[in-house]
Amino acid sequence: MSRYWIGFTVLATAGILLGGCKRAPEISFNEQIRPVLNDRCVNCHGGIRRQGDLSLLFRHEALMTAESGEKAIVPFEPAESELLRRIAHTDPDLRMPKDDSALTPEEIQTFRSWIEQGAPWEDHWAYVTPERPPLPKVSNPDWIRDSLDYFVLARLDEMDWSPQSEADCPVLIRRVSLDLTGLPPSPADVNQICIAEDLSYEDYVDLLLSLPTYGERWASMWLDLARYADSQGYEKDLGRTIWRYRDWVIRAFNEDMPFDQFTIEQLAGDLLPGATESQLIATAFHRNTMTNTEGGTDDEEFRVAAVVDRVNTTWEVWQGTTFSCVQCHGHPYDPFTHREYFEFFAFFNSTADRDLDSEYPTLPFFEEEKSTEGSVLMSEITKLEDAILAQIRSDSLVALRRTWETTLNQPEVIGRVPLMKQNEVKRVVATPEKDRGDAQIWTLDHVYANLSDDPVITRLRSEKREKERAMHALNPIHTPIMQELPFQRRTHVLERGSFLLKGDRVAPDTPDVLPAMPEGAPRNRLGMAQWLVSDENPLTARVTANRFWEQIFGTGIVESLEDFGTQGLERSNADLLDYLAVSFMEDHDWSMKSFLRSVVLSATYRQSSHVTEEAIRMDPHNRNLARGPRFRLNAEKVRDQALQVSGLLSSKMYGPSVMPPQPEGLWKNPYDSRQWQTSEGDNRYRRAVYTYWRRTVPYPSMATFDSPSREVCMSRRIRTNTPLQALVTLNDPVFVEAAQALAKRMLRAEDSIAAGYTYAMGTSPAPEDMDVLSTLYTDAFAHYTENHEDSASLTGESGSIDLAALTIVANAILNLDQFLMKE
Amino acid sequence: MHDCCNYSPLKTRREFLAQLGMGLGGLALSSLVNPAMAADQKMIPKAKRIIYLFQSGGPSQFELFDYKPKVNEMHGEELPESVRKGQRLTGMTGFQNSLPLARSHFSFAQHGESGAWISELMPYTAKIADELCIVKSMHTEAINHDPAITFFLTGSQIAGRPSFGSWLSYGLGTENEDLPAFCVLITKDKSGQPLYARLWGNGFLASQHQGVQFRSGRDPVLYLRDPDGISSAQRRMQLDRLRELHTLKAGQPGWEDIESRIAQYEMAYRMQTSVPEVMDLSDEPEYIFDLYGEDARDPGTFAANCLLARRLAERGVRFIQLFHQGWDHHGGLPSGIQVQSRETDQPSAALVQDLKQRGMLEDTLVIWGGEFGRTNYCQGRLTDTDYGRDHHPRCFPLWMAGGGVRPGLSYGETDELGYNIVRNPVHVHDLQATLLHLLGIDHERLTFKFQGRRFRLTDVHGTLIKPLIA
Repeated sequence: MSRYWIGFTVLATAGILLGGCKRAPEISFNEQIRPVLNDRCVNCHGGIRRQGDLSLLFRHEALMTAESGEKAIVPFEPAESELLRRIAHTDPDLRMPKDDSALTPEEIQTFRSWIEQGAPWEDHWAYVTPERPPLPKVSNPDWIRDSLDYFVLARLDEMDWSPQSEADCPVLIRRVSLDLTGLPPSPADVNQICIAEDLSYEDYVDLLLSLPTYGERWASMWLDLARYADSQGYEKDLGRTIWRYRDWVIRAFNEDMPFDQFTIEQLAGDLLPGATESQLIATAFHRNTMTNTEGGTDDEEFRVAAVVDRVNTTWEVWQGTTFSCVQCHGHPYDPFTHREYFEFFAFFNSTADRDLDSEYPTLPFFEEEKSTEGSVLMSEITKLEDAILAQIRSDSLVALRRTWETTLNQPEVIGRVPLMKQNEVKRVVATPEKDRGDAQIWTLDHVYANLSDDPVITRLRSEKREKERAMHALNPIHTPIMQELPFQRRTHVLERGSFLLKGDRVAPDTPDVLPAMPEGAPRNRLGMAQWLVSDENPLTARVTANRFWEQIFGTGIVESLEDFGTQGLERSNADLLDYLAVSFMEDHDWSMKSFLRSVVLSATYRQSSHVTEEAIRMDPHNRNLARGPRFRLNAEKVRDQALQVSGLLSSKMYGPSVMPPQPEGLWKNPYDSRQWQTSEGDNRYRRAVYTYWRRTVPYPSMATFDSPSREVCMSRRIRTNTPLQALVTLNDPVFVEAAQALAKRMLRAEDSIAAGYTYAMGTSPAPEDMDVLSTLYTDAFAHYTENHEDSASLTGESGSIDLAALTIVANAILNLDQFLMKE
Repeated sequence: MHDCCNYSPLKTRREFLAQLGMGLGGLALSSLVNPAMAADQKMIPKAKRIIYLFQSGGPSQFELFDYKPKVNEMHGEELPESVRKGQRLTGMTGFQNSLPLARSHFSFAQHGESGAWISELMPYTAKIADELCIVKSMHTEAINHDPAITFFLTGSQIAGRPSFGSWLSYGLGTENEDLPAFCVLITKDKSGQPLYARLWGNGFLASQHQGVQFRSGRDPVLYLRDPDGISSAQRRMQLDRLRELHTLKAGQPGWEDIESRIAQYEMAYRMQTSVPEVMDLSDEPEYIFDLYGEDARDPGTFAANCLLARRLAERGVRFIQLFHQGWDHHGGLPSGIQVQSRETDQPSAALVQDLKQRGMLEDTLVIWGGEFGRTNYCQGRLTDTDYGRDHHPRCFPLWMAGGGVRPGLSYGETDELGYNIVRNPVHVHDLQATLLHLLGIDHERLTFKFQGRRFRLTDVHGTLIKPLIA
């Protein structure tokens, strides 16, 4: 049978039947057994549920005696293996899977042969470091443009299929422009490449990769993973100023920062020697966690929640692993333990942030002319802080301080502690001095620093406040960043994930199933980040290459981008994935631009998306890549494209998020008097990546086109098709304005209607399309001739019947299927 | 067992509809239903739809449905530690020196043949006492609003899971192709805890399952109204041409999805008629306004939303989620709760009666309740005329009517100080399991595989509470 198990059970079983001679061929656990176990058995026999005290997840469990007294699997002994008896049983009450269809005779035979062969288990492929697969022999070497094509064509050869021919030039140009920059090509670009032929496809790709719009497009993808938003989340969902991180991501893509560095700076930029301002901003990646400012919440509870989110997000983004399961108990399906979760948690547990309303710690950013003064003040403040701490810990104050501590039980003393901190302080005071951890001592130090009436401290404190006031007067922009505490917080296993139920104390470490941390790597976030991008890590490159692949082709090679574990979906082409992963690391040296370049230059990518009825039937989701990609544009592209073709799109980059028009009355938060202030001028037409993102009130047209709320990390947007989307592109004032502007462009052109279509699609309309658009124009023109008022209210100008009719045509063009799709 | 859910979002709509034996005409806001659910013949649904009157902020049980004469007796005395047992308090009363018990400002009486205890604040609800199934022993895990309301409506305190209505839309689809399966109505001009899209969000389910908010005013659903200068006739003409352009592509290679694009635009057009039609209350007779109260004439009030909920239910909407804010009475409780009760009592009762007189109560489940209860002790200063109560997750009431729940039942019991549950506790996940059961759904089977795990509304918990079922 094919070594590519791709979910086509029919093919797989046919293979077994054909090979049905006496001596059974060697059974592959990963390809023939595990998929069936996962699909049919482990929902009841594995994970949290172990019906009949049987789990089929791990070999040692499957070989144990179950509740019935029988052993499900006895290696080499099919007759003694209860599993075989039960899957083949004729009594429906005893036959497994219970209350479900039976396994096929071929599947049962496969299990029998596998047990006869000793029931060997294999490591899940995702936890084994990928190796570069040899280039396979293919039927048509001339077709190959990039090495990745070998793996695609080899698959098609196996199935006796042929790839599609290359897409028409204008279609391909539009595809690659949307893929690399998120924007359609201009008609001039299309003309230059497809008609005048004075720019090659390869040069055009290089041009696109050099445009600043490239970074904006790819940042959008990354910001879903980073759960970037302009608000804190939870119920108040107050504003958060963290757009400098968004700008950092755009710049990093545009400068083609290698992915390993991109990783290290975001996870541990603050721990790099001589960390630059840019590297500190990068760490805001993990300050995109939510901050709960609801009255009466316990900051420690939500600090822990933020650390948990950092752990889960890190694992989803870099390891394609659902670590969140392990927060409460051992992983139900994958080889990760509850303890290992908290060992990893320990990497993130010693940062200074703690769910404070102020978002402390932050990095102030001063305008150009104030930056010198600002940095001087910052260093003076740090010095004063150090002096205060030194004084607090000086011998002269020890006795005084002990006395002070005993007064903390008195309401009038504890009352001076900020309300949000009182819980924490009470917990510290209740702990005997000798048992206090560094974090607790630190907490108390800081309370004492603020409350002590020691004359030295009082003087230093007032000096510090003065400097802070001076700094504040410079109006810096504060960006939340990661900052390591001068000591490690104690990390415990948290039973059932509750911050109140502390179990064993643990130290920072990575899980055993994966290669160990590099020798000598520091046991902190920096070492952890280096471990993620080390050559041995089996997941990072695969997960990342797969993400890029999904962006381009619409489906990952592993469809479940967020789960490469045993419960994730099977790879559609294992060698292709491994090739891409190794190539990303070795050939492209982690360069994302270089990697993407090779993908879009491949023959696989350049195929036409045309598809025959037969191909649809054989491979509805194009898993075998016998044609080019075709799918609906995402939320950002739907907006940006409409603004671009109508000539409205602003090319302004960076800066605070903007508020393009949205319906009134959506922002109604009693704790927050802020209003949606519709942006003026250029800012009304900025790219979607700059739109203000409030987690509890997502920008409605984007949410309708499947963008997430960004409260948590989201790897994959599920594409839907709903009538509400049609209402957006027909009626949302943003799209109506785009139609109006496109109509004005059309009015200025010679052949208005054809020009409108060409602005949108990069190429002129087919004659039959032109006929219908002309009819639409004529009918609309007739209507507005008779209804002057309508024409004035549609265009905002009186006597503009032509413009009104063209607006109707433009609005229709912006709603064409081919316009909303990438093909 | 087979994966009972649509994991692959790539499955084309055509395949899905073909599986369900529906033509393309069946393409809808929520047609991407869970096929295993639709085929599950084992459970016969009692309810077809839910109207959930969510009372956000945490209504106080002591003034409404949980009569505690002992608290009245002990008014002003300290909450005994033997009752509290070191339970976690919020940061708002955690440092209060004294936790004095506070009696209800309002009197209680027994009503109907069932003899349910209901306070004087709810005279209309009292009249339908025999329709109600009052659960006095709800309990939850969260103590702050955001986690608690998120937990109630999504089954998890952590953001990111689909909401109850989204699960139903996913599991059961819609009965009306021209309206969303899951509609959200929020009382206008209220203050209190903010409400956010997450509470009717689709989480990791496809976005067509997210709740669609209906708003009072010119644009009842966002972007429903044609732009100024485009009349309905113009729009129709424009869509006809657009359809023509799309039809030209049908049958050409590469255009396999074009029928869904055509259907999408036609459905949008139909919504432009069906939504204003359902929201237009002018065809309601006078006696209906008498029943729901004068407020019902004012669009966006709780009363008007109750009436609108009935109209949506009549048209086959699966889950109608109302939100009424303002129950978070940390202080000024006696005056605050009177306003809240006045706004909700008559319309809630009217909705139940109205459904009954139309023969719809038997398959429509109405639920009234908040995200947690309130403390028996006073927050802030306790005076003869004023007091407040803090959040209390350990026990709180909720009522249901119709849809196969047992009418005239008061279920569960709290201790004499109303602090802990002493009989028949009902956890939030238990309630969710029971509600799904009434809709013919096994809560353990309505799952969606995401991040390698089969997620469900009840997480890994939830027990069916059989006595609640008629």
